[in-house]
Amino acid sequence: MSEQGLLDVVDSEEHRMIRNTVREFCEAEIEPIAQEIENEHRFPEEIFEQLGELDMMGVPVSMEHGGLGGDQLMYALVTEELGRVSGGIGLSYAAHVSLGSKPIEMFGTEEQKEEWLEPLAAGEGMGAWALTEPGSGSDASDMDTMAVKDGDEYVLNGTKQFITNANVANSVLVKAVTDPDAGYDGISTFIVDPENDDGFEITTVWDKMGLNCSPTCEIQLDDVRIPEDRLLGEEGEGWEQTKKTLDGGRISIAALSTGVAQGAYEAARDYSTEREQFGQPISEFDAIRDKVVDMHRKIERARLLTHKAAWAYDQGQSVSRESALAKLDASEAAREVAEESVQTLGGYGYTEDFAPQRFYRDAKLMEIGEGTSEIQHLVIGREIGL
Amino acid sequence: MKVLVTVKEVAAVEDDFEIDGLSIDDRYLEYDLNEWDDYAVEAAVQIAEAADEDVEVVAATIGPERSEETIRMALAKGADRAVRVWDDAIADQTLLDVNAKASVFEQVVAEEEPDLVLTGVQAADDALGATGVALANRVGYQWAAVVNDLDYAAGDDVATVRRELEGGVEEITEVDLPAVLSIQTGINEPRYASLRGIRQAQQKEIAPHDLSDLGLDAETVDGALELTDMYEPESESDATIFEGGAEETATELANVLRDKGVVGE
Ligand SMILES: Cc1cc2nc3c(=O)[nH]c(=O)nc-3n(C[C@H](O)[C@H](O)[C@H](O)COP(=O)(O)OP(=O)(O)OC[C@H]3O[C@@H](n4cnc5c(N)ncnc54)[C@H](O)[C@@H]3O)c2cc1C
Repeated sequence: MSEQGLLDVVDSEEHRMIRNTVREFCEAEIEPIAQEIENEHRFPEEIFEQLGELDMMGVPVSMEHGGLGGDQLMYALVTEELGRVSGGIGLSYAAHVSLGSKPIEMFGTEEQKEEWLEPLAAGEGMGAWALTEPGSGSDASDMDTMAVKDGDEYVLNGTKQFITNANVANSVLVKAVTDPDAGYDGISTFIVDPENDDGFEITTVWDKMGLNCSPTCEIQLDDVRIPEDRLLGEEGEGWEQTKKTLDGGRISIAALSTGVAQGAYEAARDYSTEREQFGQPISEFDAIRDKVVDMHRKIERARLLTHKAAWAYDQGQSVSRESALAKLDASEAAREVAEESVQTLGGYGYTEDFAPQRFYRDAKLMEIGEGTSEIQHLVIGREIGL
Repeated sequence: MKVLVTVKEVAAVEDDFEIDGLSIDDRYLEYDLNEWDDYAVEAAVQIAEAADEDVEVVAATIGPERSEETIRMALAKGADRAVRVWDDAIADQTLLDVNAKASVFEQVVAEEEPDLVLTGVQAADDALGATGVALANRVGYQWAAVVNDLDYAAGDDVATVRRELEGGVEEITEVDLPAVLSIQTGINEPRYASLRGIRQAQQKEIAPHDLSDLGLDAETVDGALELTDMYEPESESDATIFEGGAEETATELANVLRDKGVVGE
């Protein structure tokens, strides 16, 4: 028995077939190793290779540039399925697509798309996106990384913090200040090649509470010289690009959160019908039944908000409010559902032999990355005129 | 050349279910491509992919409109197009027997004139396991049943097959084309459909036919078999679960094995 969400309403055979195929792949190839790669803190290259072979690495990227040409809803479905088995793989995947690839498609020149987007969409390389710095997180525009024009080159200096995939990336989209006096309008985006650009160094790969198969890196940029054709869009457009990028990115984090919640819920539901105490399945105690029903309710709500935001995105509507709302709600649902899932399994839920503890660890990040829940409130408040 | 693969949508039953008359209530069923057919499709697509010449892979099914989604998976995995046969007279059958299926596929073969027909060894739901061979008999093709290894390149006149016999014995046989081979699971590793394959499959043709399109009438599918009852057999096995440490449970297990005569005193 599986929940189908808005998909039932949309009722597209194509979307359903894609979801089912991705689910089949995830259950057979990812689920069995999900805890192992967490424990080993290992980025599973071989899985991403297979995702590439199945055309999953560029789901919402145009076919012209090596992608699948699917819509945001299709992308959300795929991301949810990954989250249902591994939050870490889901996070690296979502960062690759929404943050590392989509901005090149949205803002890049034809030449940039050929050189930098196509390998990402085809699954030949991973994408990454570097906004956050040690001194600027939620207040992301207050960054210190500088890009100075020198002839037909830019020279980048600064430190970027918590950058997903940076140590396995084919390209990193780095935000830097080109005009210190222009505020929001002084930020620009650059395509940096970690392998071939001198001065790019990974200084830390963080050990984290969860999501340890998804590398989170600190980057040092030390006089990184790049040709001027690595500027993405125009100088000064970096902040506007960031907002557009996050509108799409937050939908994928909402989808990922929904998946994490779904995985945790299924573990609890199945366990509660099998585990017997006081001579009956624990699901027959009101306290446990209500818990599992609440999980189901929260997931359904999160999924509807996520699909609604994805749908609006596909209609070309502005989705700042919808995507922030979906991300806020789904990430909270993921944490709450995962916590209750641990509780439902009792002592077993606290062990690594069972998945709920992993979902619980993974879920927490969803309330932090791509804008904390506090920042989502701020965005939504602004959108509804507060 | 042309390869025809017969495919079937089968229903898998959930652990807990209710029988409603002669069938299991739809709520407890999940539909999927018959497992054996997945291997047959893979075998056909591999022949096509390895070929120097043009090889058309056509999937043929007997199934209601609902089954199109399942059949489309065969198209997503590389079949070029599909033929779907359905008719009120087929829907009216409590059980479509082998004869009826062979009659339908006989006409499909007459229309398509394939060089090679691949079927699954059996269907997971009614497990009759005879459709492939019955079809070969009807259309006068050579056949080999329960094929678990296939050495065939497009254009060859002969296929070399390994067949699984009873008792772990296998035989290697040469089969002249045109032929029908019933394909055993494990013969290959069926691929996942790629997402691009799924998207492209939406544009591929699934041609609907009813019996009259095939020049058949309703009586053709009136088989000799009638489904008269469906019930869950009483289970005679029972399970004992030993709880406790390894030493304790090993002793208990040893006692049981001794009592049942599995091991000597
Ligand atoms: C696993 C992981 C992966 C990440 N991946 C990436 C990536 O790929 N690329 C990237 O650029 N970044 C990435 N990040 C960074 C992430 O986006 C930031 O951590 C996040 O935006 C918060 O910034 P901060 O950590 O500096 O916290 P701070 O901004 O210092 O926030 C600390 C606390 O203060 C609260 N707060 C701050 N400002 C306000 C306010 N105005 N009103 C109310 N409360 C406020 C916050 O909500 C939070 O609770 C990642 C982080 C992690 C942990």
